[in-house]
Amino acid sequence: MQTEINQNLFASEFKKYKSEADFVAFKTISEKNRDYTVRNGKPDQFYESNDSGLLIEVMLNGHIGYGATSEFTSEGVQRTFHQALEMTRAAEKNSVFKFTQAIRPPSKGYYETSRTRKLDSLSLSEIYDFLKKTSLALKTNDKIISATSDVMLIETTQNYLSSAGAEFTQEFDIIVNSMQATARDGAETQTRSLHGGRGNCVQAGADFFNLDQALQDCEQISKEALELLTAENCPAETCDVILAPDQMLLQIHESIGHPLELDRILGDERNFAGWSFVEAADFGKLQYGSKMMNVVFDPTVVGEMASYKFDEAGNPAQKKYLIKDGILQTGLGSLESQMRSKISGVANSRSSSWNRAPIDRMANINLEGGDKTIEQMIESVERGVIMFANRSWSIDDYRRKFQFGCEYARLIENGKLTKILKNPNYRGVTVPFWNSLTALSNTTETYGSPYCGKGEPSQVIRVGHASPYALFKNIEVFGGG
Amino acid sequence: MKKYLESFSQRIFADLKSNEEVSLTVSSEESDFIRFNQSKIRQNTSVTQHEVTLIYQTNQRLYKAKLTLTLDLEKDLKLALSKIEMLRKQLNQTDENPQFFAMQNNGTSEVYKESSRPSTSELINLISDTFNDSDLAGFWSSGPIRQASINSKGQFHYFETDSFFFDYSLYSGPRAAKGFYADAQWNEKAFLAKAQDSKNTLSLLSRPQVKVGPGAYNSYLEPMAVAELMGIFGWGALSRNSYEQGFAPFKKLNEKELMLSKKFSLIEDNTLGLDTHFNSIGELVPSQLPLILNGELKNFLTSTATAKEYKLQSNQADSTEGLRSFEVSAGTLDQKDLLKTLSKGLYLSNLHYINWSDVQAARITGMTRFACFWIEGGEIVGPIQDLRFDDTIYNLFGAKLDSFTSHQEIFTNTSTYSKRSLGGMKVPGALINNFNFTL
Repeated sequence: MQTEINQNLFASEFKKYKSEADFVAFKTISEKNRDYTVRNGKPDQFYESNDSGLLIEVMLNGHIGYGATSEFTSEGVQRTFHQALEMTRAAEKNSVFKFTQAIRPPSKGYYETSRTRKLDSLSLSEIYDFLKKTSLALKTNDKIISATSDVMLIETTQNYLSSAGAEFTQEFDIIVNSMQATARDGAETQTRSLHGGRGNCVQAGADFFNLDQALQDCEQISKEALELLTAENCPAETCDVILAPDQMLLQIHESIGHPLELDRILGDERNFAGWSFVEAADFGKLQYGSKMMNVVFDPTVVGEMASYKFDEAGNPAQKKYLIKDGILQTGLGSLESQMRSKISGVANSRSSSWNRAPIDRMANINLEGGDKTIEQMIESVERGVIMFANRSWSIDDYRRKFQFGCEYARLIENGKLTKILKNPNYRGVTVPFWNSLTALSNTTETYGSPYCGKGEPSQVIRVGHASPYALFKNIEVFGGG
Repeated sequence: MKKYLESFSQRIFADLKSNEEVSLTVSSEESDFIRFNQSKIRQNTSVTQHEVTLIYQTNQRLYKAKLTLTLDLEKDLKLALSKIEMLRKQLNQTDENPQFFAMQNNGTSEVYKESSRPSTSELINLISDTFNDSDLAGFWSSGPIRQASINSKGQFHYFETDSFFFDYSLYSGPRAAKGFYADAQWNEKAFLAKAQDSKNTLSLLSRPQVKVGPGAYNSYLEPMAVAELMGIFGWGALSRNSYEQGFAPFKKLNEKELMLSKKFSLIEDNTLGLDTHFNSIGELVPSQLPLILNGELKNFLTSTATAKEYKLQSNQADSTEGLRSFEVSAGTLDQKDLLKTLSKGLYLSNLHYINWSDVQAARITGMTRFACFWIEGGEIVGPIQDLRFDDTIYNLFGAKLDSFTSHQEIFTNTSTYSKRSLGGMKVPGALINNFNFTL
């Protein structure tokens, strides 16, 4: 009922203002996010956010400005429209670029998450029951001092109307589910989780929840947390490294995704998130990684977290190769950035919510699989480390020098897994690192992150990353302490 | 806004049953955001937003629900009351919360702070004109912010301020100098002086680059670099709740197995005037709370919820148990003696992307950023390429800490994730011996 009333108001208010500037668009985003945590079998957090509002885009003399309001009433819309118009009039005299209306195509359509049962069908008690059982299943030993099971259930609706004729609605159901056990014995404390913090992200409905599988995962997580208490520190040496998909997601995100964002390359992010080592002349030429490296931008994958039909400027989503056979091909740039840079881009104009202007973002950035089994990859390593699940990440503002840490590792000696290792870390430089890629597994796993930060004003956005296991040669690894 | 909140809260509280309690935490803002690139405008966004986080408590259980407000009273009430009705049916099907505590009436208050600043339209022209000889990327943020904490026990705290900041960097090719201007009252002379400082720093960056490899170097960190380092202290390090759950970089400090330098003191200081006088549930925060004094841990940040669960004393920390408004005590190093005292090593204006590399060892990693120089003979030789550091807080603010400067700078919180933030910090510069760089 609430949505229907808003829809009527949305359409009627848009009609009032659609001819009041060179271009006008209205976008509403309504989102319910239930974020629940159960710790040691008891409620830790029951939080939900119900967020909705309107973003107005106006174009004057080739410059686009924005007004946003939670006051979704006729008076609120009027005030917001006139504020946006006034500010845009002042700004267009000093705008960084004059766009044409080609950056806002007249797309029409509808998208919804593929699901058999919507997330809104899940009650608090149903979710609590799942979280309580899994939290208790993690607590297998008195040395487990904290056993948490948490979930974010996100239901989002976007509506977009523009004076160019665009009219689309997209409805998303998103789940972020995590289990985590922290074990302590004397001075040693170690944490193990399901794919590293909140890496387990999908677009799915209520049927996602599989208690039997989750209880098996809990048993494994708990066992490995306890194993880490007596494990050796990861050695400090240069050796081969195999990264599991739940670490590769961060490696892809930080050292491929962000440096390829065209708004970074154009300098928009220099003051905050940073610039990029990638330059316009590198597209079509730079040997970003070894020849087996194929990376796609693909918001069309069913079930991956950042799938959609249109980006928030109405650009239809398509799969595109960012890197093909190791060579850099395409930038992560919206129609705006493509017009400014004259570099090929993708449909990635996205915002965190109605109160922020869309900017160039990742969506699903996936590394394609190879032809080896994981066993074959391990057998090929004389001495190395296989690392699982991200726990630490840092990279410079040009996206060159990175350092990552993982939760759990195994030493590989003469083609066999041997000791368990704690505090595994590695560091490197982006292009040499990706050029040391020598094998990829023939299976991939899909994860993501709900927390990609960028922009001024700042925005957090959800991204998906699929990857195989990947083998890199001669990497600097080290432990903790 | 205050009148609307009075009406809204009275109607909510009138609907409650005898075993129910509700508190309302309100955030409201009218913000102008202007984003600059190449000294011109990339994006302008005006945002009006109001939200309330409703905490519903009954039978030792609690639930938090954030709702955006349209300021159409009947519409907003309908949504809030329907949420409470849903919770009446569902919350009792869960278990008691170990962090539950009964709501208190923490009093009533109203604080209004005013600032003066040019209109945003005027600012656009001023910034563009001031930096038309430069390549600037930056961000202007301004406007009123309102916060309130109201509950069904009679509590009503209301806070309203108006603030602005301009956070920017100037570029010469890939080299950059950082600038920041914020104040309670706009002062054009001060703004222009800051702009000139940034331009002067940029000119130093035109010197030939000095190649500096991994190693341990004596380093001077400007206050803005110290501010970046201090950010990690707010990332669970001083949270009592995190500590109890095993996220414990200061375990050895707490158990007095390791100490920080006697020169290092960290105090949560609400007298800086950077944040509200009440926390998100309306408890009045202490005017000063020593966290680390002369290298010794004195207090964790402990919320009343954490105190309830672990049978501790609350110090009215917010539920996230992060730093709100704090000071790192000044030292004795005079600014004019900086380079002479450093003699040879690194001059670091900024750090970037700091994260724990081993939480339990309080070990952190991050990068140098913006204007960083190699110093020899007490003179600037030239800029360096960015370096990665990896070292422990026990080292950096312990044995390796040489001195803090007598000069401190205030940095207001510039975070704009989802909404504008209050708070900030007052920190000095720091001279650190043998800072460990790895890449």
